[in-house]
Amino acid sequence: MLILISCLLLFVTTLALVLLRVLQPNARYAWLVAAGGALLAMISVFVWLTQMPFDLILPAWQPVTLFMTPILFRADGVSWVLAMSVVALTLSVMLTSVTRQVFVNSLSWAGMLALGGMGILAATANNPLTLLLVWASVDLIELFSQLSSVEGEANNERVVISFSTRAFGIGLLIWANILSIAGGSTFDFQSMPANAGIFLVIAAGLRLGVYPLHLPYSAESVLRRGFGTGLRLVGAAASLSVLGHVQILPTNFTPFLIFLAIVAAIYGGWMWLRAPDELNGRPYWVIGVSSLAILSALSGNPIGVAAWSSALVLVGGALFLASVQNQWLNRAMLVGAWSLSSLPFSLTAGAWLGSLGWFLPLVVVAQGLIVAGFVRHALRPAGRDSLESQPGWTRIAHPAGIGLLLVFQLLLGWVGWDGALQVGAWLQAIIASLLTVGLVWAARRFRVFNPVRAHWVTTAESRLNSLYQGFWSLYRGLARISQAIIVTLEGEGGVMWTLLFLVLFISLLSQGIR
Amino acid sequence: MNAPILWIGLPFAVGLFILFFMRNRFAAWLGGTIAAILALIALIFPIDTALLVASVSIKISPAIQFFGRSFELNTADGPLLAMIYGLAAFWFFGTEASKTESRFVALGLMIVALLTASIAVEPFLYAALLLEVAAMLVVPLLVPHYQKAGRGVVRFIIYQTLAMPFILFSGWMLAGVEASPGDLGTTIQAGTMLGLGFAFLFAVFPLYNWIPMLMEEAPPYATGFLLWVLPTFTAIFAFGFLDRYAWLRSTPSIADAILFAGVFMVASGGIFAALQRHLGRILGFAAIAETGLLLLVMSLRTSEFTTIAFLTLIPRGLELTVWALALSIIKRKAYTLRFSEVQGLARKYPVAVAAILLAHLSMTGFPLLAGFPSRLALWQGLAVESLTISFWVFVGLLGLLVAAVRTLAVFVMTSSETKWEWNETWTQTIMLVIGMLGLFLLGVFPQAMQPFIASLPTLFEHLGQ
Repeated sequence: MLILISCLLLFVTTLALVLLRVLQPNARYAWLVAAGGALLAMISVFVWLTQMPFDLILPAWQPVTLFMTPILFRADGVSWVLAMSVVALTLSVMLTSVTRQVFVNSLSWAGMLALGGMGILAATANNPLTLLLVWASVDLIELFSQLSSVEGEANNERVVISFSTRAFGIGLLIWANILSIAGGSTFDFQSMPANAGIFLVIAAGLRLGVYPLHLPYSAESVLRRGFGTGLRLVGAAASLSVLGHVQILPTNFTPFLIFLAIVAAIYGGWMWLRAPDELNGRPYWVIGVSSLAILSALSGNPIGVAAWSSALVLVGGALFLASVQNQWLNRAMLVGAWSLSSLPFSLTAGAWLGSLGWFLPLVVVAQGLIVAGFVRHALRPAGRDSLESQPGWTRIAHPAGIGLLLVFQLLLGWVGWDGALQVGAWLQAIIASLLTVGLVWAARRFRVFNPVRAHWVTTAESRLNSLYQGFWSLYRGLARISQAIIVTLEGEGGVMWTLLFLVLFISLLSQGIR
Repeated sequence: MNAPILWIGLPFAVGLFILFFMRNRFAAWLGGTIAAILALIALIFPIDTALLVASVSIKISPAIQFFGRSFELNTADGPLLAMIYGLAAFWFFGTEASKTESRFVALGLMIVALLTASIAVEPFLYAALLLEVAAMLVVPLLVPHYQKAGRGVVRFIIYQTLAMPFILFSGWMLAGVEASPGDLGTTIQAGTMLGLGFAFLFAVFPLYNWIPMLMEEAPPYATGFLLWVLPTFTAIFAFGFLDRYAWLRSTPSIADAILFAGVFMVASGGIFAALQRHLGRILGFAAIAETGLLLLVMSLRTSEFTTIAFLTLIPRGLELTVWALALSIIKRKAYTLRFSEVQGLARKYPVAVAAILLAHLSMTGFPLLAGFPSRLALWQGLAVESLTISFWVFVGLLGLLVAAVRTLAVFVMTSSETKWEWNETWTQTIMLVIGMLGLFLLGVFPQAMQPFIASLPTLFEHLGQ
C-alpha cells in the first residue's frame, strides 16, 4: 500500500498541475503544488523503511488460468534505494527549476512528476510482466514528450531510434521469458534459468546503448537541464532496475558480454572525460555508468547494479541540474567523486563484490575515466548563470535542490538498504581512486585529454554509425527480395503461382497425414 | 421475440432500409445505434430464458425455420453476439468520421447479419454458402461508384468462391468419415478438402496476396472492416468443425498443418510488413500476421485455446477499427498512402498518427496495449510446445515492430519550421481518442473482456477438453 501512496502522491500532483495549467495558467502557487507533492512523495518513500519488505499486488488479470503471474511490486533492500534516488531527483528538479528562465506552471513539471511515479514503479517491479508494463509506460511517455518538444528532422529521427531500441529491449525481455517458460520455470525473476538471465542483461544493455554500443539519444535537446535530466536518468534507472532483481548466472556467453560492456564503459568514460561540457557529455555518462552497472550484474552482484543505478541518478542529477555558479556548491559537488569511488562506506562500496576475473584491470580503468570526467565537469562550471541576479528565496531553493542529492549520496552509503555500510573491494577502489587523481592531474597538462570539439563528436558518431549502415544495406537487400516475391504473387500470373504453391502444399499435407 | 429474427432479420432489414432510403450522417448513427442496442440486448437478456421485467414476462426464443433450414441461437451465443454487434457498432459509428459512403453501414449491417446467420444455421455446412453471399456483398463496399473493380477485388472474390466447393465437398465426405471412421482414404481426402477450403477462407500463405492489393486500391475503412469481419466468423466456423469432429481434433498432422500455416503467416506477414513503403499495405500484412496468430492459437494443445482465441479476436476488432479510421483520415490528405506522401504528417494530423502508431504497436503485442494479453497467453502456450516455432513467431512480431518504427519515422520526418496543427474534426478526434483509450483499457485491464470471454468456451462443448 505504501508504494501506491508514494506513486499516487506524484500522479495526483501531476493531475493537479495539468488542471491548474488549464484553469489558471498564470497561477504562481503551481510550483508550490509541484514541490509539495514531490516532498510528500519523498517522505512517504522514507516511511517504507518502517515496513520493508512488503508487496503491492494489483488485482490479477483474468482468466486466472491464463495469467497466473500477478502484477507485483516489492519494496525491499534493493528496490528502496532506487525508488529513493528517483524521488529525490524529482524533488531536486522542482527545487532547481526556480532559476530557469521560464518559471511558470510548466507541463514539464507535470511530466517530471509522472516520470518520478513511473520510476518508483519500475524500481519496485518484481516480475517480468510488471516490468514490461512499466517499461512500456516509460517508453511511451518519453516518446510522446520528446516528439512534442524536439525540432528538426535529425532530432526527430533520433527520438524514433531511441524508442525503437527500447522497444527491442522489451522484445528481448519477452524472449527471456519465453526461454524461461520453455525451461519449465514460471514467469518470475527468481526462477529464471541462466540462459534466460543473459537475455535480461542484453535487454537492459540494448535500452541503455551498451549492447551494441550506440548513442540512444542525441546530446542536443531543448529539454536539457530539468525534465531532460529526469527523462534520461529515470529512464536509465528504470532499464537497469531489472538487473537488481536477478542473480545472473554465468554462461558461455558471459565473458563476451563482459568484454562488450567494458568496451562500452571505456568508450563512454573516455568521451565523458573529453566532453566539452556536462550536458553534451550526458549520453556518455549514462552509457559509462550503465556499463559499470551491467558489469556488476554479469559478475553476479545485483547489489552493485542498485549501487551504480543510484549513483547514476544522484551523482549525475546533482551535476546536470546545477545551472548556476556557486563556489561552495561546486566544491560540495565533489561528494559525487566519493560516491563513485566504491571506497568503503561510499554509495558504491558494494559495487564490486562479484567476480570479474581477468577483466578487473580494464574495469578499474573505466571507473577511473568516469570519475575523472565527473571531477573535471564539477570543477569547470563554465557557462552557468549566477545566483546573484535571482530573488532571495531562489538563492536558497536551488542550492537546497542540489544539496538534497549530495546528502542522499552520503546517507545511502550508510543506511537504508542492502548495499549500505559495505567495505567492499577496497583495494580495487583505491587503485581506481589513484587512477582518477592521475587522470585529473593529466587532464590539465596533456592535449589528448582536451575536450573534443563539436565536429569531432559528430565524426566519432558517424564512425559508430557505419556499423548500422551495414544493417541498412542488409535491410535494403531484403526489401528487394521481398519485392520480387510480392510482384510475382500479385502480378498477372499470381493466381497461377498461388495454385502451384497450393498443389505443393496439398502433396505435403497428404504425405503428412499418411 | 425470436433470437434469429432479432439478430439476423432485424439488422438485415435495417441495412436494406438504409441502403435505399437514408443519407450519410443519419445512416451512421442509425446503424451504430441499432448494432449497439443489439449488443446490449445480447449482453443483458439471456436467450431462451424467461425474464420478468416489471409485470411483463420476456423470453427470446432460440430458433426459427426458414426454407426448411433451422436458424438457432442459444444462451451460449449471447456473449458472442454482444461482442460482434458491439464491435460492429464501433465500426458503424466511425463511418461518419472516416467519410465513408453511407452504403458501408447498410451493407455492413447486412454482412454482419448474414455472418451471424452462418453461426446459427443448421445443418451448419450451409454456413459456407452464407459466407460466400457475405463475401459477395463486400464487393460493392470495396468498389467505388462508377468504377471498375480492381485486381485485388477480383482476386478476393475468386479465392472466397473457391473456398465454398472445398468446404461443401468436405462436409459431404465428413458424413462418410463419421459413418466409417476406419476408412483412411476418405479421411485423408476429407481432411485435405477441408484444409484447402479454410486455407482460402483464412487467406493463408500464399493465398493472401489479395489483402495488400485491396489495401492499395480500395477505401481503407471498408477493407479494414472486411479484414475484421471475415476472419472472425471464419474462425468461429472453424471452431464449429473442430468441435463436431473428434478426429479433426485428435489427428496430430492436422494440428501441425494449422500450426505451420499460422507460423508462415505470422513470419511472412511480419517480414513483408517491415519491408513495405505503403501504409495500407502495412495494415494488410499486419492483419495477415494477426490471422496467423489466430491459427496458432487453434493449433495449441491446451484446454484454454478457445479463451485465448477470443482474447485475440476482441482486441483485433478494436485495433483494426482505430487503424483503418486513422488511415482514412490520412488518406484524404495523402491519397496514395505512400511513405513519400505522408512524410511529416505527424504535425498536421497528430491524433490520427498517434492512433495509427498505437493500433500498430498493439498488433505487435506491445505491453500496455490491447494485443499484449493475448500474445502473452499465446507465448506461454507456444514456448512449452516448441522453441523454434516461438522464434519464428517472435521474428514475425519483430517485423511488425520494425514496420511501426519506420511508419513513425516517416510521419515525424519534418523540418523545424513546421508548426503543430490539428486538422482532424471533432468527431474524428473523439472516435480516435475513444479507440486509443480502449486499446489501453484492454491492455492494462484485460479482465474487462471477461464478461464476454467467460462463457464463450461453452459454445463449443468438446473443444479444449
